Amino acid sequence: MAITWRAVVLTALGAVAVLVWPVPGTVLAWAALSVVLCVLDTVLAASPRAVALRREVTGPVRLHEPGRSRLTVTHTGPRRLRALVRDAWQPSAHAERNRHRVDLPTGESRRLDTPLRPSRRGDLHADRVTVRTLGPLGLAGRQASLDVPGTQRVLPAFASRRHLPSRLARLREMDGRAAVQVRGAGTEFDSLREYVIGDDVRSIDWRASARRSDVVVRTWRPERDRRVLIVVDTSRTSAARTGEEPRLEASVEAALLLAALASRAGDRVELIAYDRTVRARVAGVSGPRLMPAVADALSGVEPSLVEADWPGLVAQVQERLSQRALVVLLSALDPSAVEHGLLRVVDRLASRHQVVLASVKDPETELLRTGREDVAALFDAAAAERTELERSAVALRLRGHGVEVVDALPDDLAPRLADTYLALKAAGRL
Amino acid sequence: MSAPTLSPVADGTVLGDGTTAAGRARGRWRRWRWVVGIAGVLAIGVGISLLPAPTRSVVPLAPDNAGADGAMAVANVLREQGVEITYVRGAAQARAAATAGTTLLVTSDWWLTPEQSATVTGTAADLVLLDPYTLLTDAVPGLETGWSGGASATSLPAACTDPDAEAAGSITGSGSGVVARDATGAATDAPDGTTLCFPLPGTEPQAYLTSTSEVDGRRVTVLGDAGLLTNARVAEDGNAALVLRTLGRNPHLVWYVPSSTDTSVEAAAPGLGDLLPPTARVLLWQALVVLLAVVVWRGRRLGRVVVERLPVVVRSAETTRGRGRLYRTSRSYGHAAAALRAGVADRCARLLGLPRTAAAPDVITAVARAAHRDEREVADLLYGPPPTSDAGLETLARRLDQLESEVHPT
Repeated sequence: MAITWRAVVLTALGAVAVLVWPVPGTVLAWAALSVVLCVLDTVLAASPRAVALRREVTGPVRLHEPGRSRLTVTHTGPRRLRALVRDAWQPSAHAERNRHRVDLPTGESRRLDTPLRPSRRGDLHADRVTVRTLGPLGLAGRQASLDVPGTQRVLPAFASRRHLPSRLARLREMDGRAAVQVRGAGTEFDSLREYVIGDDVRSIDWRASARRSDVVVRTWRPERDRRVLIVVDTSRTSAARTGEEPRLEASVEAALLLAALASRAGDRVELIAYDRTVRARVAGVSGPRLMPAVADALSGVEPSLVEADWPGLVAQVQERLSQRALVVLLSALDPSAVEHGLLRVVDRLASRHQVVLASVKDPETELLRTGREDVAALFDAAAAERTELERSAVALRLRGHGVEVVDALPDDLAPRLADTYLALKAAGRL
Repeated sequence: MSAPTLSPVADGTVLGDGTTAAGRARGRWRRWRWVVGIAGVLAIGVGISLLPAPTRSVVPLAPDNAGADGAMAVANVLREQGVEITYVRGAAQARAAATAGTTLLVTSDWWLTPEQSATVTGTAADLVLLDPYTLLTDAVPGLETGWSGGASATSLPAACTDPDAEAAGSITGSGSGVVARDATGAATDAPDGTTLCFPLPGTEPQAYLTSTSEVDGRRVTVLGDAGLLTNARVAEDGNAALVLRTLGRNPHLVWYVPSSTDTSVEAAAPGLGDLLPPTARVLLWQALVVLLAVVVWRGRRLGRVVVERLPVVVRSAETTRGRGRLYRTSRSYGHAAAALRAGVADRCARLLGLPRTAAAPDVITAVARAAHRDEREVADLLYGPPPTSDAGLETLARRLDQLESEVHPT
């Protein structure tokens, strides 16, 4: 049972009666009258359990893009349904306009749309649907909360896709279509075509030119069908916040951009998210189905507060990769974590594969490093300087083991990693 | 739309929550039974306390007590004779009611505090004290309570010229009497204006059952035996005559039976409730009911609060800040300066294309050349002794920044 503001007004009207008959009995009598009317109204209200509810939710949407939850309310009870329906979602779904007034005769149905504005990646779940039916007087009614399951899948925002066109252009240049590419290791013969002004004269194929009246150049392109394994580290270091978001968000963005770029470049992309077990995996998917699969796999990945199991990860990588590949570790360049984790196993990886470690730098550390306001800021600056030195020292040690290290601010990580990939590809080191 | 489907529905449609009305009622009862039980007990308690009080009291010597130890008979006779009786249980009320020209009957001084005694004797009314102890000395200086020794009531003849006593002739009484003593405690004659009557036999010094005094223009009568008033004994001998004449002297009688729970001296100031008009008081009750309705209206949520697990917030720079605080609290100038110097040296070396493994002299030479500075100065700046004070650290940081800004690759 629930009462409305009308019931409160009804009770308040008792003041008039009290002014006419100012005895305590008036108060009691009016209260009794109000209670009787409310109970009567409740009894005459339609049953909230005679309402059939069906929920439809939009398919996967990107983060910050609007979704929609649609409830189809069908009234099956004998009395007219006057109700307030609340379609509750978890807070990060931001289902703000989720209360709907419904007035339905028996047997009719209506659709209630609740807009969602997800502010968090992953699966957002609907909570219960609460139906509060009101009696004919609108004083009071009955209420029931019903479980109507619904899930809105929210994919990563992939804000780094704005960097994709420029990187694709660079890839096309490398592909020899612009013919400025000279032959290098790891490139393969692509085609012969007519010389145009600007082409490198060293790439002229004299033998082919002799057979034709034109001067012909050879074009080269980077090798295709290389394997790229993206490893997203979801251990405790990924939970730390850099700027507004956990480090993992930047890793996800970088993974998406790299996957998009590498699949366009003709490489086979695999992805795993790992801390002590495999949290997500994409393998054996290529072409246009790759990006949806990657986004879907990464949508549910969350930082877990455990230490990463690096030997286990190496075992996973070796199990998945039989031939030389590019292994991209989206982790943190955290001196102590790298010292006790990655550095102990890096040789087993780097001896067979090209390893890239991409790490998010904290903009706050840079801010602290340049702080000079007072002595306290100086001490903080010294501490930040020391942190940076330790980071670059451990990066140096990793480079000594043949690992490429990309250390960039959250917004720069995805393009910097893409550039590193292109550079490695151009150099034929995949 | 077709006819409603009441069957179990496919395609994810939900109808009801699988509960029955009886099941819900059971659940509600299980949840609320404690509340209902406690509310019931409270309601019964309130109901009992609101029941009208019995019209016949059991308070000894009360004017509405019809028992053997009550004084209803005397009160009724007095009322019939036109005496208006005000029955009070509090000292403050007694004081308020006892104005000049009235009679104030105090049935006992056992429960009276010294302040209350003073309050009672401080009124302008004629006093009638039953079996008093400390109150007697307060009311009539020079008189004290004397122990009679006799337990059973005996017939006592009047031995004075007081008209009331003469009218009574003899009374049946016992208990403590009145003795006249001076300041040293020796027995004396009765003080001026005091008549002692009904001597108690066999007492030394002589005690009297009653006394009548004129003090400060008012009459103070002492009856040493409170039993004279009781329904049981009022009819014996001349008891009725004495009591009725004593109490009926004035048209208004304040009948004060002290209570053990009363400690009041002053009449309470009129509270807010006394100042409000009666309508406003009822309106306040109405407002309370409306408030209750508002509580019920706002108290029922439209469905439960939805909760969500949120990720922990650990700032990445927290460890760096912690280290900075550690430097600061331990005044670790050496460590701080070393870090600042190493940072500048590292950046300059990278800018100048030196390998990271370059030795200190090479770095000094390269930096000095790039910044057009003296080598010794640069060496002192990058590898000199650590500062030992806040000012020293600030100076070093400023000079390092300056040096870094001057280094350009040639």
